[in-house]
Amino acid sequence: MIHEEKKRTIWLAIILIVLGIGSMLFVTHNQLLYKQPLVQVVRVTNSARQKQKDNFDNVDHLTSQKLTVKVLNGKFKHQQLVLTNQFSDSGGLDQKYKIGDQVFVNLHQNSHQRLSGTISGYKRDGVLVFLVWLVVALLILIMRKKGSLAFLSVLLNGVVFFIAIQIDLSFQGEHVMLIFSVLSLLFATMTLLLVLGLNRQMLATLGATVIGTSIAMLISLAVFHLTHERGMFYESMQYVTQVPRPLFLAETLLGSLGAVMDESTDIVATLFELKSLDPNVSAKKLFLSGRKVGQTIMGPLVNVLFMIFMADTFTSSLLYIKNGNSWGYTFAMNMSLGTVQSLISGIGIVLAIPVASALAGLLLGKRVKA
Amino acid sequence: MSTITALGLVLLVVMILVGGKQGAKSFFSLILNFGFLFMAVILMAFHLPPLAVTLITGVVILAITIFMGEDNLVTAQTAFYASLIVLVVLVLLIIPVEHWAMVQGFGEEDSDDLEGMSILIGINFLKIAVTTTVLSTLGAIAEAAMAIAAGLAEIIQQHPQTVPKKLFKNGISIGEQIIGTTFNTLFFGFFGGFLALFIWFSGLHYTFGEVINNKIFVAELIMVLVSFVGVILTVPITAFVMGQRQRILLTGASK
Repeated sequence: MIHEEKKRTIWLAIILIVLGIGSMLFVTHNQLLYKQPLVQVVRVTNSARQKQKDNFDNVDHLTSQKLTVKVLNGKFKHQQLVLTNQFSDSGGLDQKYKIGDQVFVNLHQNSHQRLSGTISGYKRDGVLVFLVWLVVALLILIMRKKGSLAFLSVLLNGVVFFIAIQIDLSFQGEHVMLIFSVLSLLFATMTLLLVLGLNRQMLATLGATVIGTSIAMLISLAVFHLTHERGMFYESMQYVTQVPRPLFLAETLLGSLGAVMDESTDIVATLFELKSLDPNVSAKKLFLSGRKVGQTIMGPLVNVLFMIFMADTFTSSLLYIKNGNSWGYTFAMNMSLGTVQSLISGIGIVLAIPVASALAGLLLGKRVKA
Repeated sequence: MSTITALGLVLLVVMILVGGKQGAKSFFSLILNFGFLFMAVILMAFHLPPLAVTLITGVVILAITIFMGEDNLVTAQTAFYASLIVLVVLVLLIIPVEHWAMVQGFGEEDSDDLEGMSILIGINFLKIAVTTTVLSTLGAIAEAAMAIAAGLAEIIQQHPQTVPKKLFKNGISIGEQIIGTTFNTLFFGFFGGFLALFIWFSGLHYTFGEVINNKIFVAELIMVLVSFVGVILTVPITAFVMGQRQRILLTGASK
């Protein structure tokens, strides 16, 4: 019996490794799928490093590279040409190329049939394929069916996310909050249906998620109003192509959704289990137990989101400080929005605890007759 | 009063109302984590080696999150040791991945924000990319490790003679229960923040090929996937650490 299982695990591992090698071979040889010309570096000559100093006394070095490359696809396939590249020690906007690197380029041919080109970007799809493979392989090896289901639900959410963005764009950025509120409801319903199935437990969890998140958003909007959004710099938001404020709120709403669901699921599941162990448990006892479960998970959960929101601001914060800005200004322009996001999510996570406990308590508890 | 202060006060009040003393501790751990994160930025600005700063900050943040979030010492210690092992494994994964992906620093889409700034600051952004990725996963690792350790501690409390092998199996099955919701926490946590970027990509009609090779997109997706790997690895590693602890206890008791 145990022997059988070991055998199966080994087979599974072999299949996964073969799959991994296959997909890596595919992704390193998929140039034909790209319309943009791809080249591979075959020879590199570096010039001497040149010292650079900026207004803030930051010392860096610049190096020029001559790259002999071979075209991998398109009508110039197999032709060779020489590209130039410049990289710095810090590499914030540039990078050093080495032999074997695959690079996207723009090619031009002049009247004398001479081919020239400029670098447009490094090919990065291989890393993603490798990491996706690693996640899937680990999930299947360690957690089999449940693990695969978890990944499936993430993929499904990804698809809905993509569709929502198309909808948002088709409204030209109007009604952002409405679109993403409806979307959040859809996300929550879909995810919980997948995890729990359609039953009272799922409805209680969904209720707690929706009510907890809504109250947190309403409180936050009230605070925004009362404090006139002092210290919030929407202009520091990155990649904004639409009105920033609703976009920020939508980001916050979506960002906290998963964590609030996570927590509500835990609380409601524990209370349902308590009920099955003791069918006569009172609503009040259930409520208090739910609160106890919530107390232990809320701290770590708030920290999960906090680290995600803040880690993203690390690079630009460093750049601000090295550009002679004060700590306060650096915080304001890089971290203030992330902090607000963490705080609002935190409020949602905390408020979902009494809501989930109360809902499950009302649903399951025996009313004690006075 | 600024919005951040006001929201912070609201969070403090609801945390205390709902969580009592534990709530106050959770709030305090958030403040401490922020402090250490900001200090890491400052230390790196002073050209301290990024990897060393990352590891030290990582250990400190894990310790704060775990020991201030959990009263049961068995659970907290096990979760802490397990998350340290995961941290080391992840750093060993992240360093080659970041060197392979070359997603350090900024992308073309950042050029508006970078206007008038000096990018040549003499600090290797590749190392900073490693830091960013490590830091973004810490919360998730701590949370998963605590959940598994707490579940196993309860099993040990009810059945003190559970053998390590059985404990490991129990740990995996607890992991199966939490992995779905944890993935969703991470998915929404990260993707919520990328909303603006994705709207940018779609609005400017990036092709699929452009998106999956885009510096910023790949950088962000690496963070998500590495976090997934971190959480998955946390499950067996925490179960293993708890098993070792139990082994020592059992052999100690039988002597």
